[in-house]
Formats: sequence, C-alpha cells, structure tokens
Amino acid sequence: MIDRPLRIGMVCPYGWDIPGGVQIHVRELAEHFIAQGHYVSVIAPVSDEESITDPWLVSAGRPVPIPFNGSVARVLFGPIAASRVRQWIVQGEFDLLHMHEPGIPSISLLACWAAEGAMVGTFHASTPKMRAIASVGPLIEPMIEKLSARIAVSEMAQATLNNLYGTEAVVIPNGIDTTRFRDAKHKGAGSSPTAARIGFLGRFEENRKGLPLLLEALPKIVKAIPNVELVVAGPGEPGKVLAKVDPQVAKHVKFLGRLSEEEKVEFLSGLNLYIAPNTGGESFGIILAEAMASGAPVLASNIPAFVDLLAKGDAGVTFQSEDAGDLARKVIELLGNRPRLLQLAENGVAAAIRFDWGSVATQIMSVYEVAMTGHGKVAVGSENASWKKGRER
Amino acid sequence: MTIIAGVLLVLLFTWYLSFSAARLDRLHHRVETSWEHLDALLQRRAALALEISHQTDLDPATDFILMQSAYVSREEPIVDRNDAERSLSESLKFLRESARSGELTISVRLLDELTALTEKITLAISIHLEAVRSVSKLRSRRIYRLFHLAGKAKLPRIYSFEEDSL
Repeated sequence: MIDRPLRIGMVCPYGWDIPGGVQIHVRELAEHFIAQGHYVSVIAPVSDEESITDPWLVSAGRPVPIPFNGSVARVLFGPIAASRVRQWIVQGEFDLLHMHEPGIPSISLLACWAAEGAMVGTFHASTPKMRAIASVGPLIEPMIEKLSARIAVSEMAQATLNNLYGTEAVVIPNGIDTTRFRDAKHKGAGSSPTAARIGFLGRFEENRKGLPLLLEALPKIVKAIPNVELVVAGPGEPGKVLAKVDPQVAKHVKFLGRLSEEEKVEFLSGLNLYIAPNTGGESFGIILAEAMASGAPVLASNIPAFVDLLAKGDAGVTFQSEDAGDLARKVIELLGNRPRLLQLAENGVAAAIRFDWGSVATQIMSVYEVAMTGHGKVAVGSENASWKKGRER
Repeated sequence: MTIIAGVLLVLLFTWYLSFSAARLDRLHHRVETSWEHLDALLQRRAALALEISHQTDLDPATDFILMQSAYVSREEPIVDRNDAERSLSESLKFLRESARSGELTISVRLLDELTALTEKITLAISIHLEAVRSVSKLRSRRIYRLFHLAGKAKLPRIYSFEEDSL
C-alpha cells in the first residue's frame, strides 16, 4: 500500500559500538530499508563518536553501563540525551519512529516520551524476574501506550511484555540474511563424514551462555568419540574456563576468539553439530537461526525460547537444560547417527527461510502501515500541543 | 498552610484527570486509525475476491458465495457485514488451500496478492484488537467511570470475523 519512500527514524537503546543482538538487528533492518529506497536515520548511544562510519547513524552521547538481565547493558538517559533525541526527532521529519526495547530506561523511552505521531516499538528481552521494572510498570505503561503498534521478537518476549505492562504485541522474529549463509563454503553436516566437530559461539565467560555445562559433559563425549573436537568462538579469556578441565580433555578444545561476520559463516557451516547449552535469559536465539541457515544441525537446551524457535520443521534436537549427562548422551547419539544429522541440516536450511530479512522486513513494513494510518509527520510533544495548533483529527 | 496544601492537592488531581483523559483519548484515536486501516484492507480483499471470481474457473456454489459476500462487504456498513466478512475469510481460505493442493488453478499473480493481503489483514486485526482491548481495560478502571472521562465515545466492539483464523 505504501509506494513512496518513507522517512524512518530508529532508536537503539544500547551502545552502538558494543556487540549485541539488538544492535545487529537495528543495523540490518536499517540497511534493508535503505536498500529498498527508504530514508533511515538511527540514533544510538556511541562511546567513540570518531568511529562512526555509517552516514545514517546519529550519536545520542556516551552510554552508561548498568547491570541488566544478567549482563551489563550500556544505555543512556538524562537531560542531555533527552534534548539530543528531541532535536533528532524535529530535524528528521520522520513519517514513523521505530523504538527498540522501549520498556527500559533508555533513549528509546525518552523518544517515546517526547514524540507524538506514528510510533512502533519492538520488544526484544524476555526477563520474567525483572522486579525492578515491574514496580515502575504503572509509570511506564502510559508511555508504552503511545506506541501505535508493538512487536515482540518471540513468544517469550510477548509473555514478558504482557506480564510487565499488560499489553499485547504481534510476534515477528528477528531477521537474518539467509543468502549469506546459504552460499557458505562448507556444507555443515555433510562436509566431512568422519569428523566430529562440535561448536559453541558466544560470550563464553557468562555462565548463562552455558559453556561450563558443555565442558562438564565433554569428558564423557571424548570417551565415546575420541576424535571429537570442540570449537569455541566468541570473546573471552580461555584460561579462566579451562582451569577446571582435565588437560587430557582440554586438548580437544580449540578457541577461535571473536569472529567477523564472514568468519562466523565459515565457522558454522564447517560444524557437524552446533551446541547451544544456554541456561536461560535468552529471548530469541538468533544464533540458532544462523546455524540452521548455514546447514549446521542444532542441539540446544530446552529453554522456552529455543523450544519455540526450533518448534517448526524438526530442525533441531533439545536436551534437558542444565543437565550435563543428558547433553553428553544427546551429542554421542547424534554424532553416531549421520543420516539423522544430514536430515536435521536439510530441515534447518528450509526452516530458516522464515527468518530471512525478505520476509521479516515485509512483516515489519505491514506494521508500519497500520501505525502510520491517520498520522502525519512525527513531531515532539509541545509542538503539537492543543493550545498551539488545532487538533488534526 | 492547610489551604495551600489543599489547593495543591486539587491542582494535582485536576492534572491527573486531564492526563488520564488524554491517555484514553489517544487510545480511542488508535482504535479509530487501526480500524480505518483494517477496513481499507478488507475493501481491497473484497475487490480481489471479485477479481478472482471473474478470472478463475470456479464451481457455481463457491463462485456464488464469493461474489455475494464480496458484494456485501463492499456495500454495507460494518455492523451489517460481519457474516459476509466471515464467509469471505472462509471461502478465500478454501480457495488458497485448493490452489495449494493443485485442485484449482488460480493465476499466480492473484494468488500471491491474496497471500500477501491475508498476512497484512492478520497483522492489522491483531493490532486493532490489541487497541480495542486496551481501551476496554482502561475504561473499566474506577476513575474513568466515576468522572466520565470517556465522554460520549462508544465502547469499541469486537466483531466475530476478527477472531477467525485466516
């Protein structure tokens, strides 16, 4: 229905120069819409303003670290940030604002507070135990109400939203660029019929990502499959996590460090089995979608987000979360059953298509269309106050 | 001292009432615009149904249901066309399934358009219903009932066709 280029403003609450799921989501969505001919401007906290290379990125100031959801979130608020956000809204002449994670105190909430007009919010986190936020829920609720439409990235995120603010959202998953994974060099499970290369990717020093559990299961796996190789990718200090591991077992573990996007594709597509032993705190699990898209069979803990993601299309196997014994058993079983691995890989590639940006961005655009009905350009609050200007309804 | 405190309290309460009224007003506006959008999509669906009926070799019974409900959907106000929208949903779903299983040939263009439109309508309905439920929830609070903050605005209603799966 929308056949003209739109002016879209996106607000990312987390520090732009820190790697994270929300940042990647915002970047890729912005790039997708820009490629379609829309105008997109993203405002985010930036630690090092010198480092900005994207012309569409605007800095809201330096982020402040606060502990959130088991990690440290780098967000930003305060009067200076508020005035930068207002200025950005006024200058942008946007048709629509898209706030990410507007439920936490951040520039997304500030933008929500300042703006009047078509607004869409995407909720990423799923944190059922967030008491602090739950207690300010009634204060934030009227703010969240200003959003014309809400998106949750998973059933889990939707449930969290419902608990905290009593509102509903449409579920649209996070997007990935499946073509990039499809064209990968290796072919996942099929690349080498004898290798037993299992992989893990993530900030492995964080317990909730589950590497300690996998290392606990490793001795049993090594015993059953002597040529097994565990490849760990992601930022962190290997020495710390390996300290408790038997040296005989430790020599089966290889650390790659932080990977670039291209290296990640190569890494995933070279695996016989991708393992996600996360113990919780995950809302979506984009890495599972990426592993599926690159043809790596997936074995994941049965936390709700993963069960939800793997539900359609028999594209992965789950094990009992936090149970190292069950993890070891499932790994041994799967690596011993090559036809099953091939089948899982094939199903995964097919199931990953629903996460492709082509489909995800189309759905987001449909939500924009609903949100923009009956609204003109986005303005800041005082500009269109009733005493300054007649009501437009 | 007590007078100042009293005046402040009254001022604060007045502000709260006006804030609450503005909040509800915004939600009412959201219900209106989300309905406006949904209605426009429903009109497009009816037009598409007529086009499909013209260009596809349908059996007379399906054709009749399709044309009849599309016609009602185009002509009647919403209060009178809930049943028509329902049968339009049902018959278009039936057509899509028949096309998928190969029992029926529909032009690729029309089928693609129908699929895309159905996805949009599904989204539009869930966003609209969310707005409707927010209004009802807010209006059921005591302060809104006691002070008639909703004014003469009608309580938005949910039509049964909005609750069908498409």
